[in-house]
Amino acid sequence: MALIEVKGLSFRYAGSEEYAVRDVDIEVERGEFIVLAGRSGCGKSTLLRCMNGLIPHFYEGDMEGRVVVDGMDTRETPPHMISQVAGMVFQNPENQLFALNVEADIAFPLENLAFPREEIRERVEWALRVMGIEDLRDRSPAELSGGQKQKVAVASVLAMRPKALLLDEPTSSLDPLSAKQLIETIAELNRRHGITIIIAEHRLDLLLPHASRLIVMERGRVAVDEEPRKALTRDIIPYGVAVPKVARVAQLITKMGVGCFRRLPLTVEEFVEEVRGDGR
Amino acid sequence: MSALLQGLQFHPGKTIIHRLDPRVKLVISILLLATTLMYLEVTVITLVIVVEALIAYAARVVGRWARTVYGAAPLIALVFLMNYTANVFMMGEAFSVEGLYRAFAAAYRLVALLAAFSIFFLTTTPEELGMALTKLKVPYIYTFAFISAIRFAPVLAQELQSILDAQRSRGLELDKGGPLTRARRYIPVLVPLLVSVLRRSYELAEAMEVKCFGAKKERTYLKTLRLGRRDYAALSLAIPLFTLAAYIRVMVPIELP
Amino acid sequence: MEHVYPNGVKALDGVSLRIGEGEVVAVMGENGAGKTTLLKHLNGLLKPTRGRVIVDGKDTREATVAELSRKVGIVFQNAEDMFFSGSVWEETEFALRNFGFSEDVISKRVEWALRFMELWDYRSKSPFMLSGGEKKRLALAVILAWSPEIIVLDEPTIGQDQLQKEKMIEVIRLLNTQGKTVILSSHDIEFVAELRPRIILMSGGRIVGDGRAEDILTNMSLLESCRLIPPQIVQLTSRLGFMGIRAKLASPEDVAKEIAERIRV
Repeated sequence: MALIEVKGLSFRYAGSEEYAVRDVDIEVERGEFIVLAGRSGCGKSTLLRCMNGLIPHFYEGDMEGRVVVDGMDTRETPPHMISQVAGMVFQNPENQLFALNVEADIAFPLENLAFPREEIRERVEWALRVMGIEDLRDRSPAELSGGQKQKVAVASVLAMRPKALLLDEPTSSLDPLSAKQLIETIAELNRRHGITIIIAEHRLDLLLPHASRLIVMERGRVAVDEEPRKALTRDIIPYGVAVPKVARVAQLITKMGVGCFRRLPLTVEEFVEEVRGDGR
Repeated sequence: MSALLQGLQFHPGKTIIHRLDPRVKLVISILLLATTLMYLEVTVITLVIVVEALIAYAARVVGRWARTVYGAAPLIALVFLMNYTANVFMMGEAFSVEGLYRAFAAAYRLVALLAAFSIFFLTTTPEELGMALTKLKVPYIYTFAFISAIRFAPVLAQELQSILDAQRSRGLELDKGGPLTRARRYIPVLVPLLVSVLRRSYELAEAMEVKCFGAKKERTYLKTLRLGRRDYAALSLAIPLFTLAAYIRVMVPIELP
Repeated sequence: MEHVYPNGVKALDGVSLRIGEGEVVAVMGENGAGKTTLLKHLNGLLKPTRGRVIVDGKDTREATVAELSRKVGIVFQNAEDMFFSGSVWEETEFALRNFGFSEDVISKRVEWALRFMELWDYRSKSPFMLSGGEKKRLALAVILAWSPEIIVLDEPTIGQDQLQKEKMIEVIRLLNTQGKTVILSSHDIEFVAELRPRIILMSGGRIVGDGRAEDILTNMSLLESCRLIPPQIVQLTSRLGFMGIRAKLASPEDVAKEIAERIRV
């Protein structure tokens, strides 16, 4: 059974005439790394909120179809049950930190769930270690950079030991190196700890090398849902997606009839390998 | 005023005073306060201030502590003046040594009081305060509100600054014109601030939901306060001293000079 | 010049630069490098602690923010959060009233700005009802309305999708052809690579690089020392030395052509 199953999902926010998400069918298997792309306002955020029960529990509106997370129908399950399976990280790290130091922030959801103290301690240590922020444990949020804050926000969701992480443009306010580091840490979570990742982002060049699937949305619908290299062979530029430059160059070369690429490169390293391989 | 507020802000340290349980520190502050309230004698108040100075010294916050008192100077002067005028009216005499002494003692007492609480706030983190509230059986929602206020006050201050910057860059001059136009000039600042606060609270509520806020009736705590040996030692020093002070006040009549 | 905040943080340290009329300049650097602090000096929101800032011959310490803002229009990063009026028209009008323009000038300028940013049809709509992209456009229209000679954009691409970024480049180029000086701060290297402005590179409150995009963005070690990641095209071409290709800032089309030629041979 799929970890997250979205079936015939449509959702319209209360007071809005247009559907933010329309007729979406997606199955997410365990261990996948899915990048969700598309223009601002295409429905990425709404879809993520449907996948962890914020819709329909926190946001009001008309919902059709169903979303099943690890066997739980989101309509019939309180959000705090779903959050423990599919944890959510938002765009603005500032508004996800509630405590006055990092450790307390990571412990916050576990305290709310009334975990015994020893277990909270253990899980907090684990989350600090996995995110590589052990040195920040006593810092106050005001002393952290944007990238560090976002890592703390991820750690606090991670402490609930979810099977999936849903991330809504987590790097949008970060500078490039912080964004790269955060994405690499998230990729590690996927590779080493088998955590399923669904991330809405504009920075495809940083993400696609790690991704198992690219979903492009357009006006609430799924326009493309494929393995990244395949997805890039389609014309996705009109959907407001920035195709990584290396892939673009490789595609242009192929178009010129100089067929040297056995597979579409997503990173500079892959590109160089392909070209060198051909030269030899 | 800012010096006064600074003196009420936690200053990190690892001294024995910092490490005392906040509840113990609160009790000691209250005892010191009670002592100054029992006596209107300059000598006793001086003694209290000396004790406080010693505590401040042990906590290595003498500088900040002194600045708090200094920052409160206008307030202290005000108390002195009010006391003195009240005395003049009540006693019906324009000038008296006794009136001066009383007014001075009242102002001096305020110094001792401020000094006690300054030490408390200088050496207690807001988190410890929160934990103390929890231990005192204050419902968690209030502690959470308190912590959030401290957490987001600087964020809001920053928000206000960026709104002011943006609107001033659009030619807004807040200090121009009469009082009525001036009040109207604040609209371009207040509306965005209100909108931003509303949006932020919505986002916070969403994040709280995701972090299972209120999922269980009884939540647990990673860190709680527990009285240690050092706390009992501090109490066993403070309580007898206070009892002695109270005993003297009740049993031994002291003449005013 | 130098700027020290009241809390003692030295945000700018020994900064000297000169920007000429009609230039397009991008100030780059990681968060906290001092970009925004520098920009806030341009209309006097901040005054230098030491040194001088001179805008169009005027020392910023001797002019009010309002006076300077007529020449220097700053669009802040979150400018779309600064709306307060009942309609798009009134929002755009606000600054013009503050600056004391006459009624007919106001209505002409507002109309021009709203048409320029393709917001004319929304003029009676509430700014709060606009979409994210439309709000960004309004934030720019609000500044363009009084036609400042120098336009400053603080991180104009944060949270923008690719199409919005391309639109932003178009607008900057258009403004520049109209003779405006455009100064922006950004850490979005791909965006700046496409715009190709003069780049001022900052790190730790100092200027560590100043030159053409083609030179700065191909200086890998300099970029790395500022915690910036070179544009992917530069990363790619810098690894193609074995084909006789040098690190360069070029369009994917040009790079593809060059590689294709070498492969054919």
